[in-house]
Amino acid sequence: MGTRLTIDPVTRIEGHLRVDVVVDGGRVTKSWASCTMWRGIETILRGRDPREAWVFAQRFCGVCTTVHAMASVRAVEDALQMPIPPNAQYIRNLILIAHGLHDHIVHFYQLSALDWIDVTTIPKADPAKAAAIGESLSDWPGNSRLEMKKVQDKVKALLSSGQLGIFQNGYWGHPAMRLEPEVNLLLLAHYLQALDFQRQANKVVAVLGAKTPHIQNLAVGGVMNAINLDNVATFNMDRLWMVKGLLDGIVAFVQQAYFSDACALAGLYPDWFRYGAGVQNYLAVPDLPTDGAGTAYDLPGGTIFDGKLDTIHPIRSPRDDWWRAGVAEDVTHAWYQGAGAQQPWAGETIPAYTDFQDDGKYSWVKAPRFQGRPMQVGPLANVLVGYAQNHPLTKQWTDMALGRVSTAAGRRVTVDDLQSTMGRYLARAIRSAILIDLANRHWEFLADNIGRGDAKTYVPPSFPKGAVEGVGFHEAPRGSLSHWVVVENGILRNYQAVVPTTWNASPRDEHGTPGPYEASLLGNPVADTDRPLEVLRTVHSFDPCMACACHVLDAEGQTVATVKVL
Amino acid sequence: MRPAREIATTATAPVAVIGLGNVLLGDDAFGPTVIALLRAGWDFPGDVDLIDGGTPGLHLVASVHGRDALVLIDAVAGSGAPGELRLYRREDLARLPILSRVSPHDPAVLEALAIADLAGRGPRTVLVVGAVPASLAMDTNLSAPLRAACPAAAALVVDELARLGLAPRARRDGAPPDAWWLRHATESP
Repeated sequence: MGTRLTIDPVTRIEGHLRVDVVVDGGRVTKSWASCTMWRGIETILRGRDPREAWVFAQRFCGVCTTVHAMASVRAVEDALQMPIPPNAQYIRNLILIAHGLHDHIVHFYQLSALDWIDVTTIPKADPAKAAAIGESLSDWPGNSRLEMKKVQDKVKALLSSGQLGIFQNGYWGHPAMRLEPEVNLLLLAHYLQALDFQRQANKVVAVLGAKTPHIQNLAVGGVMNAINLDNVATFNMDRLWMVKGLLDGIVAFVQQAYFSDACALAGLYPDWFRYGAGVQNYLAVPDLPTDGAGTAYDLPGGTIFDGKLDTIHPIRSPRDDWWRAGVAEDVTHAWYQGAGAQQPWAGETIPAYTDFQDDGKYSWVKAPRFQGRPMQVGPLANVLVGYAQNHPLTKQWTDMALGRVSTAAGRRVTVDDLQSTMGRYLARAIRSAILIDLANRHWEFLADNIGRGDAKTYVPPSFPKGAVEGVGFHEAPRGSLSHWVVVENGILRNYQAVVPTTWNASPRDEHGTPGPYEASLLGNPVADTDRPLEVLRTVHSFDPCMACACHVLDAEGQTVATVKVL
Repeated sequence: MRPAREIATTATAPVAVIGLGNVLLGDDAFGPTVIALLRAGWDFPGDVDLIDGGTPGLHLVASVHGRDALVLIDAVAGSGAPGELRLYRREDLARLPILSRVSPHDPAVLEALAIADLAGRGPRTVLVVGAVPASLAMDTNLSAPLRAACPAAAALVVDELARLGLAPRARRDGAPPDAWWLRHATESP
């Protein structure tokens, strides 16, 4: 028995994540994750020119624009076995880092913070005490008593107006909300300050990529930024220093506010290290190449099985056989024709819709598997794979985070505790701290290389007769993304995107093994089945990317989200 | 292309015109198509940013925050014939409920405005130029009624900018709009 909850943002448009859980005795005992929109958008690319595929791929998803563009050009370059100029690599890396930081900051504050902070307690807070707590956590200049008072007044005005604005959906007063009013105030102040820094990160993308949210400067073979230090119309020292100035502002916010807040939150909710481990196989691909050919990377990749860091097997490049031969997609429980698992280059995307069948087909997401196993991807996989390989920056920031969390929690929190719902939040902050350090490093690579007189950013691709296969990957904000292409006589014959959320939101496979979302929800507490806040915390910890997506403003105010108790 | 303002400035233009929607999903391309039409037909003053916004979800906040005025162009879910244009102002939007969110991708126009407002940096003037879609199925073409509605929508945007004292200048060269998604595959698969 038990109560079945369906969390399904029902809209006139499809394209969303539906989560079904059965709750028994205050715990989740069964779960299903389903995507309710057909994801065969890759079929649009068949028959097109591989040089323009990235322009379309960039539209697969409106939030993960840049990441699909990048995986696409990398896939074609891999098929052609062509190195690109180092400047192009560094410019791409800086765009990817800035995009990733923007995304992580939005995730922590605008998407997730209100799952943990109860804003209705803020009027009761003592602004001086909130400021003192802030000062005890870091040197962030945005923690003054005056700032706290200003934010408190805004919240008071909003709450007393009866128009709750952005707060109208919160599960206020929920028993799982446990922070004191001053901590809630402090975190909300940073929620508002975060807006300025996401905009700065976005500007980095705009300066380097010519436009945002859809960059214009990519090309198979490099980037189209013309570098000429003596010409104001091209990429010159002014722009380089503009990027540096923007990055410096983001460094301070990431290290002193975001990283610090994530550690504090984890320390104040340490019980959330006990829930949500789910699938403990991890996959991360290497990223931020340091040479034109993509043989050396600043972020390591690899696989870990069964939650044991000593099972680490590195992935060194897209040409690594461990990686290339490891990936397949299973459609047993997905609404596609065929059975069992197929390697992506041979992958088909032919719909075969049934209705939602608990034991049959129930999702538009395929089930990617690595050597037959489900894998968790995302910042946590990224951090664990780096930690297991003693990657210095990963070690440094992870150990610092664990130290701070342990102090706040009053008990020792270890790297193994990261395999949890809270671990995914913390890992995203650790990854952000690593990324901002690497942003400075790649900025210096670029400035030095230009300084040495190398202005090259592009080499034209040439396409062979016959068929060639390639894979381009990117360790995106939500985890390992790969685009798999088959190019025949200069035309795309097949195109498959294996996206991070496909790994994480994967349905069961032919053996009935659930995917990461599904597995992570088992045992999750649910105090109040009418307000399943705890389920949302675990789902949000993955930073789902389901819509990939269609956008319709619902201006007639129809309900677009329901929690049905069946 | 718009010559007026260098993209590489760190300042935010006080007015943004943002076309929203996924160009791979049929009539959801309405917003980006109108932006392409505007870019081709007019020169805009430096105080106006023209943005093909795609489907930014919560990332829309970054484009809305700190603006004085905002014009959004989007497909709108509502009863009515395909291609029918609907205009909404701030006060119309304020009456709509903000719904709970599972992913950052869910449409976030109302949320982006509410978040920017809370920070005290929300636009004072908002106009949504909406069109009722015929089909949102995967397709790189607009349906005939939506295609027909684009010029009128562009004219409404131009009027709104004129009202704000930032009238764009019609271009004489008449370059065709760069709606690249309408280009077809070089051969059928």
